[in-house]
Amino acid sequence: MRLTKLIPLGAVILGFTLPCYAEKIVVAGSTTVLPIAQKAAEVFMNNNPDSDISVRGGGSGVGIASLIDGTCDIGNSSRSIKDTELDKAVTNGRSLKANVIAMDGICIIVHPSNSITELTKKQIKEIYTGTVSNWAQLGGTDETIVVISRDSASGTFEAFGTLALDGAKVRSDALMQASNQAVASTVSKTPGAIGYVGLGYVSSSVKAVDVNGVKASKETVLTNKYLLGRPLFMYTNGEPKGLAKQFIDFILSPAGQKLVEEEGFVGLK
Amino acid sequence: MKKFLTSIAAAGFISMIFGLGVANAGEVDLLLQKLVEKGVLTPGEAQQIGTETKEQVKAEIAAGKNTSLPAWIQNTKLKGDFRVRYQLDHSKTSDTGVVSDRNRGRVRLRLGVDSKVNDKIMVGAGIATGTTDVTSYDSARSNNQSFGNAFAKKPLVLDYAYARYTPVSWASIMGGKMKYLPWRPTDVMIDNDITPEGGVLQLTKKLNDKTNLFLDTMLFVLSETEPTTHNAMTYATQGGIEYLLTDTHSLKGAVSYYDFSNVKGRALDGSQGTNTKSSGSGTTGLNKYGFREITPAFELGIKNPFKPIANITGLSMLDIEKLAFFGEYYNNLAAPAKNNGFASGFGFGNEKVDEWGKWQVQYVYSMLEKDSVLDTLPDSDRYSGKTGIRGNKVSFQYGLGKNTWLQLAGFRFENINQIGTNRRAPTTVFQADWNMKF
Repeated sequence: MRLTKLIPLGAVILGFTLPCYAEKIVVAGSTTVLPIAQKAAEVFMNNNPDSDISVRGGGSGVGIASLIDGTCDIGNSSRSIKDTELDKAVTNGRSLKANVIAMDGICIIVHPSNSITELTKKQIKEIYTGTVSNWAQLGGTDETIVVISRDSASGTFEAFGTLALDGAKVRSDALMQASNQAVASTVSKTPGAIGYVGLGYVSSSVKAVDVNGVKASKETVLTNKYLLGRPLFMYTNGEPKGLAKQFIDFILSPAGQKLVEEEGFVGLK
Repeated sequence: MKKFLTSIAAAGFISMIFGLGVANAGEVDLLLQKLVEKGVLTPGEAQQIGTETKEQVKAEIAAGKNTSLPAWIQNTKLKGDFRVRYQLDHSKTSDTGVVSDRNRGRVRLRLGVDSKVNDKIMVGAGIATGTTDVTSYDSARSNNQSFGNAFAKKPLVLDYAYARYTPVSWASIMGGKMKYLPWRPTDVMIDNDITPEGGVLQLTKKLNDKTNLFLDTMLFVLSETEPTTHNAMTYATQGGIEYLLTDTHSLKGAVSYYDFSNVKGRALDGSQGTNTKSSGSGTTGLNKYGFREITPAFELGIKNPFKPIANITGLSMLDIEKLAFFGEYYNNLAAPAKNNGFASGFGFGNEKVDEWGKWQVQYVYSMLEKDSVLDTLPDSDRYSGKTGIRGNKVSFQYGLGKNTWLQLAGFRFENINQIGTNRRAPTTVFQADWNMKF
């Protein structure tokens, strides 16, 4: 066969095989980070049609465990890695690298008619553990407190339990909601209600109260002055490389951080 | 571009000083805050650099790569506790006999080291105040040293030294003089200060989110006398379950079987001399019976049991964190009579007394017949660790600050072995302890 005939044949084979080598990554973990990852992946793949980013949830523990097991490339987490997870990573020969991509500020919200404008962390804990059950005990009107919480599968529930309740359990009669939006909606319709949502979910239909005298804002969350703030992570196995690096760099770019804020979180830029 | 390069330089500098061990987390936060105030970094960049640096240090320590600390320090944990005690022993030699009071100041110091040999093997060792006088009943059962002897120095002894091998998460093997005792809801049958010698295989199985099973198999050496006589040994097994009944109710139960072999016809070190003797008497008399012990035990825990009442009355002090009921039964299958015992009680208060204002109360009633358990094992605070006794223990713990607490305890026990005017010989013991853990 002549060489000139081999060239088009090679080109055809190359054309068929190239898509098979298009880089693909799997992103898994925190349900809190999930909307950021999904939105960012959608925009990134539109801009880079050859890339393939598969995003799924499962929770922070699942994300980190998947990264250690090697079944994902980026492990999303709404909390810092635990010592037990680090030990497991070392045992499995992994060296996990934390990449902070945004901050989450958990706001305490009440019905707009509520006269309370500020709560201490201690009072929030007393409300959510059931020690305090009437707004009058906190200087408000004589009205039973209706406690709204996120369901126990959410990263926000876990973060709230750690940051606000010091690990104490939420009272058993609290109304559990499946999303930030559902919490905000329930609080807006229930005069005696209290709930907690991400900073981006605060609207005029609810009232955000100060915590320990500090108002939740981008600045107070970023400077750790606001108590109920936390970093959001994308963990990688070692320094991010290839498509994982491009994807994280995109999220940290001005365009990516804009998406972060559109999803209700606090951008780093 | 200039700002970007400045940020990179700041991140590198902070990572470097963390790595060199010349700054702690608080100092780095302060440094980042200053850089934000000077306009070198934005708050977001400072947050990103600070958090990622802390995470990096955590990961390096876990991997044993952090150069700021030698690997042996990273793999070793030091721990200990110290207790100062005032103790009043108020006793009668008989029902109508002479009353005697004994006032004592006592200390107990325990220092321990846990060190990881590798990811699967841990070695633990501890020294403590105590005595190696094996003829003393509290040699194995107490680490107290009483004030006196014109300020004489107090001895330190090897409290424990053992290794634990954990090949998989659900199984571990221990060997040595171990800081280990099988689960019991009280220390009535086996004093908490005892560190047994031999080996243990521990298996656990988590069935689901609510149920956990455990099985411990033990082999302990009580007395090594071969080739003259067979060694006195303890072969024991304990099977148990932890079950979450509801979000607030939990149950833990176990059945244990102890075969104390070759103790019949033998005098054991540390005996209080209250088991039945075949010849001789007191601590040097020979045991008339063997000891094969079956011991069922349970503990029911209830979280926030009075919350509904607290909510209705508005009295938050009623909303205690935990209430527990517990009990255990002892039956020595190898003795024909006076071979039963039991302990039962309750406790309430905070789950842990680890900071100011937290508290716990506990009450235990217990009875040990003469040959119900081996008289080298029972709690030394209850009638000096004898058998043939019954009585009450009440204790109150109150947190004085982080890792320090006060304990007040009262014991009222009497003898149920003897007859006639010397029948009860009741003893009251009061202890006031200041405890510190580090």
